[in-house]
Amino acid sequence: MNDRRTHFHRELAALEADLVGVAGRAEGMIAEAIRAVVEDAPAVADAVIASDAEIDRIYLDIHDRWLELMARQQPMGSDLRLMSAILVLNATLERMGDQCVNISKMAKVVHGLPRSEQILEELQEMADLVRPMVRRSVAAFIRRDVAAALTLPEMDEPVDRLNRQMYQRVVACGPRKEQLEWATRMMMVARALERIGDQAVDVAEQVVFLATGEFREFGDTAGSGDRT
Amino acid sequence: MNMEQPDMSQIASTAELRPVPPARVSDEPSSEHPVVFEVRDLDVFYGDFQAVRGIDLDIRQHEITALIGPSGCGKSTVIRCLNRMNDLIETARVEGTVTYHGVDLYGPDVDPVEVRRRIGMVFQKPNPFPKSIFENVAFGPRIAGLTADLDDIVEESLRRAALWDEVKDKLDEPALALSGGQQQRLCIARAIATSPDVVLMDEPASALDPIATLRIEELMIELKEDYTIIVVTHNMQQAARVSDRTAFFSVEVGEGGRRTGRLVEFDLTERIFTSPSEKETEDYITGRFG
Repeated sequence: MNDRRTHFHRELAALEADLVGVAGRAEGMIAEAIRAVVEDAPAVADAVIASDAEIDRIYLDIHDRWLELMARQQPMGSDLRLMSAILVLNATLERMGDQCVNISKMAKVVHGLPRSEQILEELQEMADLVRPMVRRSVAAFIRRDVAAALTLPEMDEPVDRLNRQMYQRVVACGPRKEQLEWATRMMMVARALERIGDQAVDVAEQVVFLATGEFREFGDTAGSGDRT
Repeated sequence: MNMEQPDMSQIASTAELRPVPPARVSDEPSSEHPVVFEVRDLDVFYGDFQAVRGIDLDIRQHEITALIGPSGCGKSTVIRCLNRMNDLIETARVEGTVTYHGVDLYGPDVDPVEVRRRIGMVFQKPNPFPKSIFENVAFGPRIAGLTADLDDIVEESLRRAALWDEVKDKLDEPALALSGGQQQRLCIARAIATSPDVVLMDEPASALDPIATLRIEELMIELKEDYTIIVVTHNMQQAARVSDRTAFFSVEVGEGGRRTGRLVEFDLTERIFTSPSEKETEDYITGRFG
């Protein structure tokens, strides 16, 4: 293959590589953020919050380089679709980082409050379900693997189910003010994890668009349930 | 060519060639727009050399159709078949079918001069006559015998070509004193002064600066409300900006290195430049050449 736009394609590949790097960081942040909650470790939460600055820095850097490439190179065809996907993924991954910051802030707020082991187990379960979703969606992006991307809605279902039943768990904590405060914050942690799951599905939607040129929301057709 | 005798009453009578009131059209291309040109299995030869092979193309009314592709792919050859400009080349031979509103364009009774009046052409380099601005635009209507309303025709043509305001006070001045961009718009005014149905444009902006190029592109979009426009361009961004449909031509290299143009893909412009069906198109628009 004789590439007449080697400079542009090298820049595009570098942009994609940096984006994949952000995805790795985001996945690591999920693990650490939920550890801060489960182990009631404010120092871990602080580290997660601090690490988000690096994701924000790369997010802005990718945005600036994306804009320059768009203005100077005017990509077309699969290059244009990749540029479009990069813009969406950049924002999506940055928001995943923000969700991890939200979880970490909750961990700090509830430090020392009485806890429910069942809720913690289920939050850990949600995190353990969500991290492979992020990993698989990004791997599908790297390989342009439509079949892998299409499995994401199914992976998202148990996450949505756990999020929905969290309300019942909070109610079951009883009227004790301190435990209720803790549990209410944990409902927000569950919500943040559920959002990360949805964002992994968004990444998978971009994979299908990138590979086929057809954009559609999985939630509308794949019956993946709650995308709220 | 088609053996069936065309209905020449549709094309031979000048009386029926007065301007048709322009139909207002939406900005979106529609498969509902009637087909103006139907090109089927078109082969063009220059002597022994086959320039293009097996072209099938439908050109729809009130749309801008762009023909893109690398040098030597035959896009100019094809556009020149649409108003029989290739007749002027002695060795040229056209095989296949080109119908214009259902009439065989190469039928024995079709007058090529009348064809070129209905199907105007604008070339790469502005080529005004060494006459006044007025006379350049009046030239075609005079030949067609339309002398009664000449002032009105000239003004209307210059207005449609977005040139009137710039030249209305100097219509008697030499056309060659105009800038390159103005000269090209004058050539467009000259082309539409004979009330054509179709305007062919062969690289109409490639000799112009970016500002003049944008004026021509804006003009093309305005003109498609009244005319059907087919443009050959090397500038993919230009095709993407102005056209409704895009035809991508490529070159196949045969025995002895003979290069013959062929149509690879023809689709809505949006599809061609975002997700083309053919890998060859994709490779061309992304700058990857196999």
